[in-house]
Amino acid sequence: MPSPTCYLLLNPAASRSHHRPRLPLPAAAPPRRRVHVSCDAQRTGGGGGGGGVKREAIPAGAGKAKKQVVFFDAAPPVSQRGGGGEEEEGKGEGKVARRKKENAALGLVRRLTKRTLSLLSNLPLAISEMFAIAALMALGTVIDQGEAPSYYFEKFPEDNPAFGFITWRWILTPGFDHMFSSPVFLGLLALLAASLMACTYTTQIPIVKVARRWSFMHSAGSIRKQEFAESLPRASIQDLGVILMGYGYEVFTKGPSLYAFKGLAGRFAPIGVHIAMIFIMAGATLSATGSFKGSVDVPQGLNFVIGDVMKPKGVLSFAPDVFNTEVHVNRFYMEYYDSGEVSQFYSDLSLFDLDGKEVMRKTIKVNDPLRYGGVTIYQTDWGFSALQVKKNGEGPFNLAMAPLKLNGDKKLFGTLLPLENSGSSNVKGISMLARDLQSIVLYDQEGKFVGVRRPSSKLPIEIDGNEIVIEDAIGSTGLDLKTDPGIPIVYAGFGALMLTTCISYLSHSQIWALQDGSTVVIGGKTNRAKLEFSEEMNRLLDKVPELISVNENKIDSKQSAT
Amino acid sequence: MLFATLEHILTHISFSTISIVITIHLITLLVRELGGLRDSSEKGMIATFFCITGFLVSRWASSGHFPLSNLYESLIFLSWALYILHMIPKIQNSKNDLSTITTPSTILTQGFATSGLLTEMHQSTILVPALQSQWLMMHVSMMLLSYATLLCGSLLSAALLMIRFRKNLDFFSKKKKNVLLKTFFFNEIEYFYAKRSALKSTFFPLFPNYYKYQLIERLDSWSSRVISLGFTLLTIGILCGAVWANEAWGSYWNWDPKETWAFITWTIFAIYLHSRTNPNWKGTKSAFVASIGFLIIWICYFGINLLGIGLHSYGSFTLPI
Repeated sequence: MPSPTCYLLLNPAASRSHHRPRLPLPAAAPPRRRVHVSCDAQRTGGGGGGGGVKREAIPAGAGKAKKQVVFFDAAPPVSQRGGGGEEEEGKGEGKVARRKKENAALGLVRRLTKRTLSLLSNLPLAISEMFAIAALMALGTVIDQGEAPSYYFEKFPEDNPAFGFITWRWILTPGFDHMFSSPVFLGLLALLAASLMACTYTTQIPIVKVARRWSFMHSAGSIRKQEFAESLPRASIQDLGVILMGYGYEVFTKGPSLYAFKGLAGRFAPIGVHIAMIFIMAGATLSATGSFKGSVDVPQGLNFVIGDVMKPKGVLSFAPDVFNTEVHVNRFYMEYYDSGEVSQFYSDLSLFDLDGKEVMRKTIKVNDPLRYGGVTIYQTDWGFSALQVKKNGEGPFNLAMAPLKLNGDKKLFGTLLPLENSGSSNVKGISMLARDLQSIVLYDQEGKFVGVRRPSSKLPIEIDGNEIVIEDAIGSTGLDLKTDPGIPIVYAGFGALMLTTCISYLSHSQIWALQDGSTVVIGGKTNRAKLEFSEEMNRLLDKVPELISVNENKIDSKQSAT
Repeated sequence: MLFATLEHILTHISFSTISIVITIHLITLLVRELGGLRDSSEKGMIATFFCITGFLVSRWASSGHFPLSNLYESLIFLSWALYILHMIPKIQNSKNDLSTITTPSTILTQGFATSGLLTEMHQSTILVPALQSQWLMMHVSMMLLSYATLLCGSLLSAALLMIRFRKNLDFFSKKKKNVLLKTFFFNEIEYFYAKRSALKSTFFPLFPNYYKYQLIERLDSWSSRVISLGFTLLTIGILCGAVWANEAWGSYWNWDPKETWAFITWTIFAIYLHSRTNPNWKGTKSAFVASIGFLIIWICYFGINLLGIGLHSYGSFTLPI
């Protein structure tokens, strides 16, 4: 034998005498109209139909007590177990009843919890929750978010409602102007999280318990009732076991029976998916309640203290010590493509602690933030702070650039160099406009275009009798800062979710076989890849050698030996 | 210029090859005896596959970044992903009905990308700072692979619905019925005949036509397999995107329209997978959910770009004015 787990006692005659016929479980009755449905990602299809299978794992009383269909491959939900959960299984109902009398109040609480649990783990409920969440999210993208109330008054007026009934009241009352933080939406998410947990507790974990118990089938009839069933004449169960092992199955044999399974992880992984979802939700809650955010626009060469910028987002936001750190913008610059478009923004930042010691220095860019003591600094924006200009050799003067909002959201900055004396009321001068730090467009007093200069070229330009040299363009960097205590939890959830959804693709296949004389009866089922499974089984069974008469004699001699 | 010519040639070769392939497919659907033609259509698919791959590689070489920066490139990539999906079962040598879905899908996406979009949009664009990251390759390729897979799966489900309710559609009746069924199942009839006992456990109402039942069973099984694969890819894609967003924008979730619709897609297919765990809903009802998913994917992939809103508006239809 290739494996100790695969011990075989080929004695069909003996096995038949061992086999005692069992009463069919009530659970095995044909499916009724009202099927108890619970959120069970594992339950294989056709389960109700194939329910002629006997398994030791299911307590016979479970099905009898309540009129429910118990699927043969799923554990009974907790609601069936009456008072005691695990204990009750072994000890019978009398004891439980006595205990209940003793502690009626506790029993009531228990029953209530169980009621809630079974209600929450209800599959139709979970599905309608998901549908509702999807619908609300879609609505959140259709309605413009985060506008002032007057916007909605104007867009959804009462005298001319959209679709005949939607006025601003419909949007503002449930808070759909800020959908993703509205109580309705968050409440639904919380309900879904509760359903997830209830489902994991009442349905998924019991499945693990059942799936871990491997069980043999002792009657050819029940094996033939499997989704895949075949009988091989003149074959040996030993050969089948070896071939199954070659295909990656775990094989167990006992007497004439064989049980093999593969891909058990695929049955457990959905639990991981649910737990990962809960992790992500918990992390997101922590992010929403315990983080700080801030954004700042700093001209090159200036500095700021982190704590001054940060604003708490929720009740759990506690300022850490790093908030005393001072950030100095050493340099801000951009890189350009040949076509003139910006390819990347860079900010050279230095961090100083309270003693004025530099603790960190890094050049950040978009997609490459700075992380220090829980604070992350992102490069998000840029601005034009000032222009250094020499006029007729005097200066340089620093001219502050003002952002101009003309057409669209494209950036445009402008400044004016006054030419007349400050006394006059009608100030005229040279206007300078810039879209980026690279080129400055200059206009004369009348507003006529004069020329374009690059700050780096130091090339003078003559405007209205004045010689102007643009010395330097000083940019300002737009930084976003944040602390987020939820990140590690959310990332743990992300990792777990990716892994477990991948594993969930695996299909848990189970095979039973029985040596019935010289014939081997094989039955099998799987929870996901049904077509591939039957293909694989056909390929696999083709490999089982057919025993010719010489071998049969050998088996006979073996039998007589035992 | 060299690259541009090469790309031009490659797209046209692949486009014309796939047009021939689709004609062959239609012929083999109507005239069953021409077995040789089917082989040639397979060869055509392989040729097209290499053309598309060549196109993507030349784009990558000429632009210096992963060719997923605008709508045109992403459509070509989607079509390439559909080819991959077409090839996987061929390599595994397992019979299925996927090719009936993948072949027309590839020609449609490719036809739209080549002729439907403006020529200006074919140009490779430079990457804005936010897109310059290794995550681009991971996130976008995963998303597009998942779209391709989910589209196939939901189309299989839509086909299931069509066949299930075909009684009401006169268009399909009589003439095509036998042809369709025989194309799919001529070889398997004997095998299924042996499995007749399985019919007892059916939750579908008994069909007058046994083969129709089998076809629906197969479509159901395949669409669920394909969708769960696509769901896995979608999960990875969304989560990679979230990690990237945390690097670039400072928050792993912004409720940006594209993100939101990706999440809606994810939710819809999660509903599909959960609805399949209930034997009463398996089949028609879950197929209905998957068909809704088909529309949602298009809204997510295309509709949001059409509106050009939010942070993901890189490949939007910005028409030169």
